[in-house]
Amino acid sequence: MDRAEIRSRIKEVISNVAGLDSQRIGDHDSWEELNLDSLSLLEIGVDVDMAFKLGLPDETYKGIRSLDAMVDLVESRQAEQDVAVASPQQATA
Amino acid sequence: MERRVLITGAGVLSPLGSSPAAMHAALIAGESGLGAVSLFPLDGLVSAEGARAAEVRGFDARAHLPEGNLRPLDRIGRLVAAAAGEALADAGWTAELRREREVGLVLGTMFCGIHTIAEFDRRGLTLGPSYASPMDFANTVLNSAAGQTAIWHGLRGVNSTVAGGAASGLQAVAYAAELIAGGRAEALLAGGAEELSYEAFLGFSRAGRLCGSNGATISRVSGVAEVPVPFDARRNGFVLGEGAGLAMLEGAETAARRGARVLAEVRGWGAAYDPSRGEEPARAERAVQRAVERALAAAGVDAGEVDAVWCSASGSPAGDRAEARGIAAAFGVRAVPATALKSMLGEGLGAAGGLAVADILETMRDGALASIAGLEQLEEGFSLGVSAQRRALPVRQALACAAGFDGQVAALVLKAFGAAEA
Amino acid sequence: MPRRVVVTGIGVVTPIGTGRQAFWEALLAGRSGFAPVATFDTSRHPAHLGAEVRDFSPGPWVRTLDPARLGRASQMAVAAARLALADAGLAPEELEAEATGVSMGTTSGEPLEVERLDDRILAGETAQVGAEFVERYPCHTIAGSIAAELGCEGPVTMIPTACAAGNYAVAHAFEALRGERDGVDAMLAGGADAFSRITYTGFARLGAIAPEVCQPFDRNRKGMIPGEGAAVLVLEPLDRALARGARIYAEVAGYGLSCDAHHMTAAHPQGEGAARAMEAALAMSGLTAGDVSYVSAHGTGTPTNDRLEALAVKRVFGARRVPISSIKSMLGHTMGAASAIEAAVCALACAESVAPPTMNFADPDPECDLDVIPNAPRPMPVEVAMNNAYAFGGNNASLIVRRWES
Repeated sequence: MDRAEIRSRIKEVISNVAGLDSQRIGDHDSWEELNLDSLSLLEIGVDVDMAFKLGLPDETYKGIRSLDAMVDLVESRQAEQDVAVASPQQATA
Repeated sequence: MERRVLITGAGVLSPLGSSPAAMHAALIAGESGLGAVSLFPLDGLVSAEGARAAEVRGFDARAHLPEGNLRPLDRIGRLVAAAAGEALADAGWTAELRREREVGLVLGTMFCGIHTIAEFDRRGLTLGPSYASPMDFANTVLNSAAGQTAIWHGLRGVNSTVAGGAASGLQAVAYAAELIAGGRAEALLAGGAEELSYEAFLGFSRAGRLCGSNGATISRVSGVAEVPVPFDARRNGFVLGEGAGLAMLEGAETAARRGARVLAEVRGWGAAYDPSRGEEPARAERAVQRAVERALAAAGVDAGEVDAVWCSASGSPAGDRAEARGIAAAFGVRAVPATALKSMLGEGLGAAGGLAVADILETMRDGALASIAGLEQLEEGFSLGVSAQRRALPVRQALACAAGFDGQVAALVLKAFGAAEA
Repeated sequence: MPRRVVVTGIGVVTPIGTGRQAFWEALLAGRSGFAPVATFDTSRHPAHLGAEVRDFSPGPWVRTLDPARLGRASQMAVAAARLALADAGLAPEELEAEATGVSMGTTSGEPLEVERLDDRILAGETAQVGAEFVERYPCHTIAGSIAAELGCEGPVTMIPTACAAGNYAVAHAFEALRGERDGVDAMLAGGADAFSRITYTGFARLGAIAPEVCQPFDRNRKGMIPGEGAAVLVLEPLDRALARGARIYAEVAGYGLSCDAHHMTAAHPQGEGAARAMEAALAMSGLTAGDVSYVSAHGTGTPTNDRLEALAVKRVFGARRVPISSIKSMLGHTMGAASAIEAAVCALACAESVAPPTMNFADPDPECDLDVIPNAPRPMPVEVAMNNAYAFGGNNASLIVRRWES
């Protein structure tokens, strides 16, 4: 999945949770700029994890503060998962 | 010095319309809100015929709540917020006015967000606790609908929730009236709500309470006709309903100061409990009688001065009997005109009292009393003045009665505003 | 003419003791109710401590009703009610049925019952669900069970306003007695909640549960610890209490209710709603902030609650460092029972002239610059005690009791 697609899906999640128009979410917006409250951020974290089947511990999402950072996270996790699929003996627990 | 408690508006989301006037018109026309269950699959829980409910069909929260993020609200939260919006608008409590003065909310509900609670639990079990939804957790507390509605409409006054089964709505109105009479609050939305849920449907079905199950602890007895008709000799259980009904209660001074249009006055309220929880008919009847007598005494009104009674009867064999006898005992020999809206609205649980109050206000306005749809054979010995036909009847003073499933009974006396003082 | 209302009996089921005396002694001794959660598996949760009521058995208390037909919160509520009546020197037969009512609060009602239902649903066993779900699950059964057990025929009200519910329930009972509503002459008022995986999972998801210790107002506080319990207070009109020679713990002076209308799980950032509730309680009681001797804080131990609570207290009390402690430092957060237990504690503080401590307090937080009565109870005259409680949905409730002088 390329970055643009990842970004677009994450924007959908944010839109669903926070009631924002996904077209008006800037590609490089921070959570603060989007005025997301703590409950929405927790929800976005779990929804993104489920949408992309990331299987990451929820503390991971506490450190994310912007759309870019979230896209980076998804991208790197997907890369890890691709490697794991390609070489099963290296799959992490 | 007790303040007079007035009603200056109302809003409903019901199986028969999303305004008091629309709902009332449908009730007067004898329309039924009962239909096939569409909100959730029943997985063979009941037979196809048994899969009925009175849903708020095609409920579009957006139509009532045009601005704002709906995602945090679950179905009952949306029903309440929508009804609140309608009631506030009807009463003329604008957003600006609400910034200046505190308006509160007292909501009656039996289960609140039961589906949210159960889904939250199931998702945590299935996917693991770290996948439970944080946003849904906020709606697992039983005051969530009241809280969400307060946030939506900026209601910073007293916010409370009352749970009393099918008596919840009237209990909430009494609770709110008490606060206003005592000067603890100026203006409170009061009434009740319930959402139709798979979990409640499953529970009542397995308890043999839904009509057609003949009281047996199985979901449905095939070949048995369904008669969810209040007071009918053939009745065999209720059909679940849902909805939200809120009235705007305020102190007489507050209403006068803002030039509000007044619909009615809450004259008195009463409550009682049946410790046998329905298992001893005589005690169940006594509780109904006592609640009604207390409401009348608090209102300073004689039974003979009540023009009509709104009953909470739903088609329950024992429940309807206790109510009929209890009210008759309070009214003496007089067969007071009475109606029971659950014949058309279903058993709305927490919503029922709120919907009944809204209908009372409408009847006070147009002098049309709803029938008990489908009533063919009144049980022998029931002396209430019920009818299978709608009636023209001027109603200046009304009594609403509601018995919950667990022994609670609540009664309310309303008087049309502008009616000559007794 | 409104009647004066007094507290004549206290019954509690708590993580640190059952019964008024055992509980009060444990409280003043700073006993901790925290232990690893025993009733369900927390291995997949980020937290593992809870304040459960160990070894609770309904047998001694639920006698009229069949305990198997009651959920756990209802069982604890009935136990607390019987304890309260005994403490008030009243046998249930002495209650005038028609003139006795019940007013209880809760956060979750009977969550264990919906958990059982969910277990069945997930296992595809809905055919095995019987009448027990609608019989035991609805939260109004908590108030109803007390009334059914003791034969009360007066008004019975269930007020599920989450973590402020106990205060709401006592306030409602106070109003009923003041105004002689429905002819009541005695009210059993309080709150109850049962420990559950739903509640625990939820607070864990919010990251709100402390990993090791609950330390309200401490600079290093990391969160709350969920608990369970029940408390019932016997409330009577003053003249009735005097006529029967009852022991009077305290007089209920007034209360205040408000709503933040801000956020479901976070309080108003300037403590505005909480301050309004305190001020309304003072106004109703005919008192000023300067009259308050002791405050029982909501004090859950979360970074946010305690900071905002301190802010609200400062708004009302100004520069005055009113003694304010949180017993959640010992009991954990018993949800709907919390403010009922705390109301009982306020009455006891007035009667015994001693204020309970905030335990586990090591490092003051400059943002919570309060006299938290750290680590040891403080013998002091308590003329007026204020009990504060804040709930999800922004429901704020403050209750004031005053020392009774015979």
